[in-house]
Amino acid sequence: MTWADGLRTAWAGMWSSKLRALLTMLGVIIGVAAVITLVAIGNGASNAVASRIETLGTNVLFVTPGPGTPFTSSEVSYIRSNTPMAQVVVPLLSSGGQLSLGTSTVAAPVVGTTPGYERLGAIHLAAGQFFTPADLALNRSAVVLGANVSQALFGGSNPVGAHVSLLGQRFTVVGVLQPVGQGPGVSQDNSVFIPLPVAQFLLRTNALSAVLVGAPSPAAASLAQDLLANLYANRFGSTSAVSVASEDQVLATLSATRATFTNLLAGTALISLVVGGIGIMNIMLVSVTERTREIGVRRAVGAVPEDVVLQFLLEAMVLSLSGGALGVGLGWVMVHFAPLVVKSPAAFSPDSVVLAFVFSTMVGLVFGLYPAVKAARLDPIAALRYGG
Amino acid sequence: MIRVQQLVKDYHLGDSRVRALDDVTFEIPTGALAAITGQSGSGKTTLLNVLGGLDTADAGRYWLNGRDVSHFNPIEWSRERNRTIGFVFQSFNLLPALTALGNVELPLVYRRVPPRERRRVAEEALAAVGLPHRGHHRPSQLSGGQQQRTAIARALVGNPPLLLADEPTGNLDAETGSEILGLLEHLHRQGRTIVIVTHSTEVASRAELVLSMRDGRLLAPGGGAA
Repeated sequence: MTWADGLRTAWAGMWSSKLRALLTMLGVIIGVAAVITLVAIGNGASNAVASRIETLGTNVLFVTPGPGTPFTSSEVSYIRSNTPMAQVVVPLLSSGGQLSLGTSTVAAPVVGTTPGYERLGAIHLAAGQFFTPADLALNRSAVVLGANVSQALFGGSNPVGAHVSLLGQRFTVVGVLQPVGQGPGVSQDNSVFIPLPVAQFLLRTNALSAVLVGAPSPAAASLAQDLLANLYANRFGSTSAVSVASEDQVLATLSATRATFTNLLAGTALISLVVGGIGIMNIMLVSVTERTREIGVRRAVGAVPEDVVLQFLLEAMVLSLSGGALGVGLGWVMVHFAPLVVKSPAAFSPDSVVLAFVFSTMVGLVFGLYPAVKAARLDPIAALRYGG
Repeated sequence: MIRVQQLVKDYHLGDSRVRALDDVTFEIPTGALAAITGQSGSGKTTLLNVLGGLDTADAGRYWLNGRDVSHFNPIEWSRERNRTIGFVFQSFNLLPALTALGNVELPLVYRRVPPRERRRVAEEALAAVGLPHRGHHRPSQLSGGQQQRTAIARALVGNPPLLLADEPTGNLDAETGSEILGLLEHLHRQGRTIVIVTHSTEVASRAELVLSMRDGRLLAPGGGAA
């Protein structure tokens, strides 16, 4: 038997029992569609991470205390005096909070900082202005709203000059940020910014969550990173007491986490493909039993055992590859509908199509082999006598 | 065409041993129409299976078409059947999913004949057995006699010198059976060697050579129905 004849036979066999073939393929169809959809969702999230790296720039260092490390406002002057290459040194105090306007309330991360934050280049104002050194000096309760927060409380109208309640205090809205899009961790769009002294007073602490260091170039940032890492390691006797990482390193870590997540999703989906393969093997074994007599006839007219292996293996492959093709179609449709359901961007990846096809080919080969070999090993006399 | 010497074949059923072929020696000359007769369990079907290489004897020698095939393995036997032997079964054994033409083509598929060529040869074979216009019917759409004619066309399509038929009229009524027998005789007159296993005395009476079996032994020629 030639390969062409084997394929013709397999195709005709599948076509003559379409419903059964479809049910047999279902596991592979769902498995392939799942691989493509989940990888697309994972990729969509990673793309969002990548785009945020670009909005924040790569010259910013995060100096973050480890658990239990004393880290107060004095660190700002310590860092400033030890890193002459730093252009901007900005303290951060982060907390959760609730913002109220009349009866409407929105939960938002609260960031206490200084006017220097604006100079990191991470934010752009849509309306009003960032708080000024005067606001800071006079302990004014000024607040800058992230784009989503503004939208949630004020709709499309300009909130500058309005009053909101935050951490039990009345604040005046002085500015609104432009949206930057979905990012890893906490999005700036969902945050609100208040002067650091006000935040420290309201949260009853003089600690800082982090200090941001802006350098004029990536090289300068790298130099400052080494310098600060050494200084803090010497001061606290441990490299983990204070971590000094660039913005893109922080994001790369997040990105790696996302990739792990994507791989896990793909792995789960691949397991479902294996389950689909077991389904194919099951039906192929039934088919071999049903067609025992056919195998006997084929042997009687001159089929060698390898011909029988080829015939049943090709049948399993045609089933799994057809399932793969239908799964790619279903996956493509699901990728376009996924963002509506999971509210997360999805990016169709050609790699996942290749992966799915390679895997469904392997599934057909691996799970088709046992039934095919079983068919070829049948005793032709017993096979001819079977069921009649 | 066929020469066998001291064939022995045992079957083991649990502890007991059944001797299906016991020292069987005979010769069937090329171009003969031979019948192997005997009661159920006499070993005649086992003998046919051994002659067709579907089964192998435990001892003895077998020359087919001048070649010693005593020690052929299953793959060599598959190739030999494909070239030298056409099988006809009592229950036709047509593949229900294929058309009559598809069934007839089958031996040529394993001979790797290109599709167009084998379709042409299969059509000729169907015409030769008197079914020129039934090629696109499925076996279920054919009568018993037509199914057996299709099966004979399948046995003939590769132009083998030897036809082995196991009770070819066993599932047919008397009149149709007689027609099929007539067809086999016609093929015999064209020069083919034909071996028919049967317990029908009518079939045996039309053979030139009758091999009578009882309990795995061959009775002396003429000792059975002749």
